[in-house]
Order: sequence, then C-alpha cells, then structure tokens
Amino acid sequence: MTDHPTALPRAARERAAPPCPALVPAALALAALLLAACAERGGGGGAGAAGGTLIVVTAGDADVLFHPSGAATTSADVAGLIFSRLAELPFDANTVDEAGFRPGVARSWERDDSTTIVFHLDPRARWHDGAPVRAADVAFSFEVYRDPAVGSRFGPNLAAIDSVTVRDSLTAVYHFARRYPEQLYDATYHTKVLPRHLLDSIPRSRLAASAFARSPVGSGPFRFVRWDAGASIEVAADTGHFLGRPGLDRVIWRIVPDPAAAASALVAGEADAVEIVPQAEQRARLRAALDIRLVRYPSNGVAYIAFNLRGRGGRGAHPLFGDRDVRRALAMAIDRATVVRSLFGADSGAAGDVPIGPTAQAQWIWSDSVRQLPFDTAGARRLLESRGWRDANGDGVRERNGVPLRFELLLPTTSRARNDAAIIVQAQLRAIGADMRLLPLEFALFEQRSARKDFDAAFQSRTLDASPASVLQLFGSEGVRQSNYGSYESAAFDSLARRAIATPTRAAALPLWRAALETLNDDAPAVFVFSPPFYAAVHRRLEGVRIRPDEWLATVAEWHVPPGARIQRDR
Amino acid sequence: MLRYLARRLALALATTAAVVTITFALVRAAPGEPFTAGAEEHFVPPETVARLRERFGLDRPVGAQFVRYVANLARGDLGESFARHRPVADVLRDALPNTALLGLAAFLLSFALGLLVGVVQAARAGTWTDAALGGAALAFYSVPAFWLGLVLLLVFGEWLHWLPVAGMADPALRGSLSAAGRALDVARHLVLPALTLALVNGAVVARLHRAAMIEALGADFVRAARARGLGEGRVLLRHALRSALAPAVTLAGLSVPALLTGSVLVESVFGWPGMGRVAYEAIFARDYNVITAVAVVSGVLVALGNLAADLGVAAADPRVRR
Repeated sequence: MTDHPTALPRAARERAAPPCPALVPAALALAALLLAACAERGGGGGAGAAGGTLIVVTAGDADVLFHPSGAATTSADVAGLIFSRLAELPFDANTVDEAGFRPGVARSWERDDSTTIVFHLDPRARWHDGAPVRAADVAFSFEVYRDPAVGSRFGPNLAAIDSVTVRDSLTAVYHFARRYPEQLYDATYHTKVLPRHLLDSIPRSRLAASAFARSPVGSGPFRFVRWDAGASIEVAADTGHFLGRPGLDRVIWRIVPDPAAAASALVAGEADAVEIVPQAEQRARLRAALDIRLVRYPSNGVAYIAFNLRGRGGRGAHPLFGDRDVRRALAMAIDRATVVRSLFGADSGAAGDVPIGPTAQAQWIWSDSVRQLPFDTAGARRLLESRGWRDANGDGVRERNGVPLRFELLLPTTSRARNDAAIIVQAQLRAIGADMRLLPLEFALFEQRSARKDFDAAFQSRTLDASPASVLQLFGSEGVRQSNYGSYESAAFDSLARRAIATPTRAAALPLWRAALETLNDDAPAVFVFSPPFYAAVHRRLEGVRIRPDEWLATVAEWHVPPGARIQRDR
Repeated sequence: MLRYLARRLALALATTAAVVTITFALVRAAPGEPFTAGAEEHFVPPETVARLRERFGLDRPVGAQFVRYVANLARGDLGESFARHRPVADVLRDALPNTALLGLAAFLLSFALGLLVGVVQAARAGTWTDAALGGAALAFYSVPAFWLGLVLLLVFGEWLHWLPVAGMADPALRGSLSAAGRALDVARHLVLPALTLALVNGAVVARLHRAAMIEALGADFVRAARARGLGEGRVLLRHALRSALAPAVTLAGLSVPALLTGSVLVESVFGWPGMGRVAYEAIFARDYNVITAVAVVSGVLVALGNLAADLGVAAADPRVRR
C-alpha cells in the first residue's frame, strides 16, 4: 500500500529548481564553481523499473571501506551492504540457537563433530567483478581478520577458532579450540568474506591504506559506486545478486554532522532515513513531518555509572566504593524511572528504558523479571547510617571519621543525555546526604582517565554486541585489564556468567543469566541508569522496513519504494 | 627590493617552522589517546592500540618522532592519517578546495554587503535607516555563526524549501547533471553557508566602512566637490567611497585567515566537506598528523598572505623596504 499523501508536492518540489538568489557576485567565484563541478566524476546508478533510492543521513564519514579495519559507524553500515557473511544472524539476534541463522555466502552448514563446522558455499555467489566466491576466500578472510599486522578490532572475537581449512572449492571448514554454543555466531558474525584474488598481493599491514579500502569489491547485495570524502557514499544494487535482486536501486549516505541539520534534511525531503534520532526535540520535529515516520526498535545501548572499586589508578580499595553497602545505598537512592522520564519524555515508558543490568533489549537475555535493587531512599539512608555515615555537622553531606561522602563523576561532554541525567542523579543523591560532583571532560580525555582507572565514578555508555558475553567483558574478572573499568570482581558472578555462556540453548541459559545479573545487581558495582530508546526516522514511501537492532541496515535489501510512491530521485 | 624580499621570505619560513614545532608539541602533550575515539561503540584491546602506536611510530620518543616528521615534511610527505588510513595530503586535497570555495564566496559576499551597508549608513547618518542598519549589523556581529546558520537553514531550507539544507551537492542527482547543472547545484548548496559567514563578517565591514565614509564625507576634497556642483551620488561614489576604501582593503587582508578558520562550525552545520570539519574530526580522534598538517597549511597560507600584503605595500611605498 502506498502511504505517501504528499508525494506529488514533494516530487514537484524536487523537480523544480528553486529560485536561486544571485548571491555569488563575482566571476571568480563562478569560475571556481565550474571548476569544482567539472572535477566531479560522472556515472552512477540510475533508477530502474524496480527499486528506488534511499538516502541515509549519517553524522560522520567512513574511515575505510575495508571491513576488518573500519572503525566508523558509517564504514560498518556501508561495508555491511557491500560484503557478505557466511550466514546471517536471526532477526531476534539469538546467538546460540543455530536453527535461526539464515544462509549468506554459505547456503548450508553442518558439523563433523562438536569442534568443527563445515560450510557449503552457494555456487551462485559472485564477487562484484564477476569472479566466483570460493572457500579459499573464506580461509583467506579468516587469516586477514586474525592477522596482528591488520590490527582488526574483530580479531579478538576469533580467539576460539583454531583454523579455517579448504576441503574443496566450495567447502570451508572451521576448527574450534573447544566446544561452546556460540561457535556458529563467532564463525559467521564478526567477519565478512573478502576477495582473495584482489587482496592477496597487498601486504597485510597496508590493506587498510590500499586503493581497495576506498573502492571495495564485495559479494553483498550492493556494489560500490563512489565515495566523495566528507560528503557522500553511494552503492548500487547488484541486480544479479545470488540471493535475489535488492528492493532498492541504490543507497546513498549523506554526511551531515549536526543533528538539527540532519533532522532538517529529512523534513526538507533531502534525505530518507537516519539510524537513531537521539534528541527528543528532533523526534518531535520529525513526528510533525508528514513524510517521515519514526520506527522504534530494541536498544542495544546502556548507560551506567560505574563505581571504581579500587583506588585511583587501580591500587588498593576505594575509600567509598570499596564498601558494598555504600554502593548499594547510592544505587537505591537513584530513581532511574524518573531520570528516564526526564530525559526522554513522551518517548519513554517502555520497560526496556530502565536497564536490568549491563544488557539491553536487543540482547536475547533481556528479561523484565530480573531482580534489581529498589528505589528506596529510606532504605538507602538506613544502610548508610548502619555503616557509620552520618551528617554530624549539618551541612547536608554525611561524613565518617571526618571523611565526607563526596565523590567525582566523570562524564563526556559529547553526551547530552548523560550530562542531563547526571544533574538529576546529583540532586537525588544529595537527598540522602551524598555529594556527587560532576566533572565533564572532552571525550578522549574521559576515555583515557576511565581506561587508566583514574576516577571515582564514571558515566559510561556501551553499544552492546548481540552476544551476551559482553556482560562478562564489562564486569567479569577477566575484563579488569580491559573494559571493566570499575575493577569489579566476583567469583560468583564469573561462575554464573561462564556457565550461562557455555549453556547450549536459550531456554537453559536464561535462568543462569538471570542469576548472574541478579548477583551483579546485588553487589551494585554500577548503577544502570538508562537504555536510550532507539528511534529510526524513515520516509513513508519506503516499505518493507524492518530494523535488526545490532545492524540497522541488515535487512535493507528487502526495503523498497512502490512504483506509485516514487519521487524524482527514485526514477 | 631583493633583500627585502629575502628578509620577508625568511620570516615567513621561520613562522611556518614555529607553527610546525609548536603544533607538533602541543597535540602530543594534550591528554587523550589516538585510536580510542570509538571506544564506547566497540572496545579496542590495549594490544591493538599498542600495535597501531607502533605502526605509526608513536611508541618512539617525541624527539625522534619530530625529527622523522620534519624529515618527511621536507620531502612533502605529511604522513598518514591514523583515523582515515590514507595520506594526509590526500585528505587535505579533498577538503581544501571546498573550504576555499566557501571562503571565497563568503569573502566576496561579505565585502559586497558590508560596503553597501556602510555607504548607505554614512549617506543616511543619524537617521532611522542608519540606526536600523547599524542595529542589524551589531546583531549579526553578536550572534554565533553556527546559530545563525541553523536559523537560516530552518527558514530557507526547511520552511520555505528555497535552498538545500546540507552538503555541497545533491548526491542523488550527480550522475544525471551536466557540468553546468552540477555548478548550479553546488552554487545552490553554497548559498546558505556562504551567507552565514558573510553576514557575520559583513557586519564588521559595514561598521568599519560607515566610520570611514563619514570621515571622508567631512573631508575638504568632498566639500570642494560639492562646491563644484557635483551631484550627491557622484560625490558619494566617485570621491568619498574611493577615499574610504583603504581601511576596508586592509580588513580584507586580515579577513582571509579568519574566514578559513571561522568556517569550522558552519561547515559542520551545513555538512560542507571542508577543512574545518577535517580539523574538528581530527582533534576529536587525536589524529596527530592531520591536526599538525591543518595547522601547517593554515600557517603557510597566513604567512603567504602576509608576505603578499607586505610586498604590495613595499611596492607602493619604497620607504617600507628600508
């Protein structure tokens, strides 16, 4: 069904060049314009009988389009359409139940034994230059991702895979070091299949800087067209793709760093979609726009105040947060539901907005029934008094042995949500006699001090993987030297989380995950303040829009624009 | 003249060398690590960071890094961007022409507007017209450029749909436009960011030019022209304006670097792919080579501008060469 009441006015607006005031007064400027225009290359995908054009607004440019080395969000989005995986994660992001995985370059897979998965490649799969995709490409890709010279951020995720071998040209075999439930996920999710015939001659350390990294050839549903640095990236449908022609003719990423300008680009019809509209006022603007609809999807983000359980620099015990009861009291004094309502207003209210722990709705372990510390200011006061924290001098801040209940919260200046939340939390803690002082820092400095454990408390935020194993990285003992910045260590939590990770089915693993999260919540190494509601904005003429939380454009090959709803750029 | 030229060139070189040294030292002394900008999106293991530091030579002593950097710079090699995995020269080559186009358009527009407003104000000095234009100039001078940009974007882009709100060209139309069509497309995208910069800079020009014009209009030669029976328009444009242009020309020379550096936020608001955004993103990512290169290029441009101005003045007035 076409749901596009203003298609004609919009199309008319796009066809007619708007009046252009004569604001470039000199011939020199005009000459420069012509030069700039002539410098641009021609070509590009045109609108065909099927499809349409999707223009995505993104805040930042890609760094490289070589998937192993890409760090920017836009790089991941673009590479996600140009390259293919062996298999795709189920829509519910269940990483352990193998039956839900969908074929990618591999049309099927089976096990030789508990540590071996055999992938049978789809013989129809082709690189965009026409060469067939072969098992040697799969083995080569694995080696590239794991090569220290490449320095891929995905490399550590492959630690449990011993090797990948080639049985025949269409059969690749993954050999694992041990048996565990997420073998298929690890074998397929973190890596894309790369073209060996185009990359084998390039030194591994130079792959990211190679011409391929700016003009890649993949086997995904879209092929690379052009990249104008800082301005836009375009991919076009691979009309002969082995899994079927994509529903759209082309996808263009348009780089607009300012969120207000990005919203204006959507409202003005210059763009069709944005992954996340983080600010409530921009969501309100977009809701009022006739052509735009907001699509809410499960969040994979969580923001939390991490307490440093050790002293500054990770030495000794922290004078406040080394005490479990102090942490619990502070956690009980924070009314997270109020924080969420204040931050997100009318867009809040879903159960997932207040996190149950270091997880989010997009992860399959999410459950509303996980036990958490209650919001109980009277209980918090009692707990502090039982530990000797009293306001003896009447200044509103409790003391013990002359030491005030005062600490510093680091937060990055780049996050408006965390800055706003911190002010509310500060007031709530003040009510029980705790003095939290805010220290906003530029992001690089915030991250540096967090990693060096040079803080009392830090307002962290994480985008979580589909795998719940990230919970162990953030709060497990093994993460203390890595992203467990607060240095929380609990044998009970580690044991429960490890058992949960090793449990082969979702049904059997869920109770263990629940117990692990409840252990964590009881110890209160952090206060899980909010999980930002994720709203994508999408033009109404686009149909078939479904959003997989871990990779919002994962299903874009199914998106399309019905012929009756097309505008000029779709044709 | 040759000795004078050699002296000025040496000074320009010394200035550039100082910019390189100071920037190199400052960016490395600043807190924060490269390679961790996306740490909240995906954890970067310390061993990966260590490998990257080694690859880009950041594991060496700062002195050794500096010597290597200067040696490479002498060969015209600005190094490789940590964040973009490509030569810094290529990054700048993409961005610099875009910033130059925006800066040039804003420069011309700001002086056209500023001189016009200054003349009208001077001609109507003490009237409501003068007060209204003076108030408007003060308002534009006072508001932050990015805020003004957002307002213009909202009014002319989102509400009226007269002009595009973002980017330098419509990427959806690129393949289908002729060269002239693409030029027009770029021009349409240029209007709002150039106007934003021009309104702010033009306000300064207007205020300065009003004062210069009022002074000129009270000069003896203007009284003499009026006594000869010349029309007011001719007196204003042929005599007073020519005399009052000198301060504006001096301001023009000083405005060029300001327009280049002042475009950082405006480029972000309008998604203009220029040097300002490159610099902003490089600072955020602690992309040392790009930050240093942007400072070097800006320093060289300023030094060259000053050199050209000095030579111009020296050519006009031989006493300066001594």
